[in-house]
Amino acid sequence: MAADLTLLGSVESAKGATITVCLDEETVSGLAFIGGRGYRIGQVGSFVRISMGYLDLFGVVSEVGAGAAPESLAAVEPHGHRWMTVQLVGEADQRGEFRRGVSQYPTIGDPVHLVTEDDLAAVYGRPDSPNFVRVGHLASSESIPALLDITKLVTRHSAVLGSTGAGKTTTVASILDVLANRERYQSARVIVLDMHGEYPKALRDKCTVFRVSAQRDAGEQPLYIPYWALTFDELLPVIMGDLDDVGRGAILEKVTQLKQAALSKQPRAGVTPDNLTVDTPVPFSIHKLWFDLHRLVNATHTQSGGQSDATEALEFDQSGTPVQAGDPMKVMPPRYQPQTQAAGETKIYLSSSPLNIRRPLHALASKLRDPRFAFLFSPGPWCPDIDGLPEEDLDSLVEAWVGGPEPVTVLDLSGIPYSVLTHLAGVLLRVIYDALFWSRELSEGGRERPLLVVLEEAHAYLGRDNHGPAADSVKRIVKEGRKYGIGAMIVSQRPAEIDTTILSQCGTLLAMRLANTTDRAQVTAAAPDNLEGLFNMLPALRTGEAIIVGEAVNLPLRAVIIAPPEGRRPDSDDPLVYDERGPGGWNRNREPSDYGEVVGAWRRQDRRSPRIVRSGEGGTTQGAEDSSSVV
Amino acid sequence: MEKEAPPRVQRTQVASSNIQSIGYHPPTQTLEVEFLSGRIYQYFDVPETVYQAFMEASSKGRFLASGIKGAYRYARL
Repeated sequence: MAADLTLLGSVESAKGATITVCLDEETVSGLAFIGGRGYRIGQVGSFVRISMGYLDLFGVVSEVGAGAAPESLAAVEPHGHRWMTVQLVGEADQRGEFRRGVSQYPTIGDPVHLVTEDDLAAVYGRPDSPNFVRVGHLASSESIPALLDITKLVTRHSAVLGSTGAGKTTTVASILDVLANRERYQSARVIVLDMHGEYPKALRDKCTVFRVSAQRDAGEQPLYIPYWALTFDELLPVIMGDLDDVGRGAILEKVTQLKQAALSKQPRAGVTPDNLTVDTPVPFSIHKLWFDLHRLVNATHTQSGGQSDATEALEFDQSGTPVQAGDPMKVMPPRYQPQTQAAGETKIYLSSSPLNIRRPLHALASKLRDPRFAFLFSPGPWCPDIDGLPEEDLDSLVEAWVGGPEPVTVLDLSGIPYSVLTHLAGVLLRVIYDALFWSRELSEGGRERPLLVVLEEAHAYLGRDNHGPAADSVKRIVKEGRKYGIGAMIVSQRPAEIDTTILSQCGTLLAMRLANTTDRAQVTAAAPDNLEGLFNMLPALRTGEAIIVGEAVNLPLRAVIIAPPEGRRPDSDDPLVYDERGPGGWNRNREPSDYGEVVGAWRRQDRRSPRIVRSGEGGTTQGAEDSSSVV
Repeated sequence: MEKEAPPRVQRTQVASSNIQSIGYHPPTQTLEVEFLSGRIYQYFDVPETVYQAFMEASSKGRFLASGIKGAYRYARL
């Protein structure tokens, strides 16, 4: 046997892509030394090569031992031969070129070999190809890089799944870091929907950050989502909640009118009065919408029939000026005389409008006044004036998001009120999708400059029972985005809560440690390869290890992802109860506390203390030679 | 031009197994500490003498734990 050190055994049965291998009696269990390297034999998840002469088949070991033995034999020779179950994944021809899929199946007696590092390097290794990025190395061999095909990774969608603390965010940051490598991909573009503000730190010199309460001095841009870019069906639930059909129709008509009026004042490319609909992203003033509707239903009038603006009964003071004429932009309602039918006085009548929208209008007014909704209803330069004319049009907004100078755009959604968060995440995605979809033939469109959308904490808005715009947008991206150059990377710790149709469309899965059985079942079901054995390893993966299967990798692989250097890791570290090295934790004396600061931050809705002094980037570096370097 | 820029804390690199650099802003008595993890904190109302003692301490980590941690309010940057 000295001539064939790599021989493990022979094929005893083939059932589809599942091969049962009987280990050779002479196969030494445990370690084998080939070419000076030690190999463990029969490791679940390791690869085997089945030699067929002109063709080599490759497979993954999914089960070893008694469980893998054929049932009929188990009783006869419980301790006899050693068995192994292997899932076929691909083949390599004589030149060593590896392909997914199997053209011929092995038959009884074909020899099964251990895969050496040289074999693996031939299968996995194409580190020079510009289409591949290195995200780490094989768990079994540090010398073999784990390479991802970026075309398939981006356009065929991917999912990064793993329990909290398994290293998801770090993995994503690491992948984004190599994708945003300006020397290789000058025009890369990635958008991250960041629910917790974890990414800016990890990608700090490669990303533009948009945040609701932006720290301008830290280079962040304010995040605005102009309400007029929403479709009517997206806008209505945010501004009014549920309405009856009459109210809905009235508002629809009013919005269309306002958009028409604004368009007639300033024409916009692509829209004519004839093709304008209520959903066309054309500005209108929501303040005017509220003001007009408020007057319509809340005004009192001097006559009961034929009411119009002229018959409104405003309340006047002694000098004859209105007590409060109202101000739409300040969300100030006018004051009217109370209704009265008393004899001898001027009769004042209630509005005859049949619309039953008083309560939704009050809700709208309070939202328009709420500073937390300012990103939506008073979106900076995109806030239309009373005539529906904003300073800036959508082009500058879309350009800032997907055409900025940095390869990565982080949309930090952590400051958006929770009640509308998932709704607006969907709106954001829809706006981006629409822009790139319709411009797909242009040089900045999706087909010519594909976009990767990273959806962090995706389970929060992609649930099975979630039918909001977020789920719709993402479904659209994963179903059709491939053709238009819009790819999704779904990141979640609860795969079981994500809609199966969304997960099954992900061509590449990066599965990290997952303890929960339901989650694991969901991942295994969504896996594009027949690799149950491999996924049984999920609960025992180390932090930062991932099983990568699917289109972006040649072969399924178990990889150790390179962590970004310390100081560039995403900001997702958990708080420490016992903090030995940092400033906090329970193990410290209590410094003089100031709850005024606490409440101040709450009221401002800004986590950044106003006391903070601007910090010098890369301050003086005297004594730099004795500073310990950390990489 | 330098004068018009708002005052900034300038940190000095230090040799420590835990702390990367330390800075101080005398007008506001703000002490800034960058840990090796990359996190930066500002401690408020720290007298300049404490800062000087900090810089002279042979073990920065121990000085931080005994003299600063639990004694001054701080905020993370």
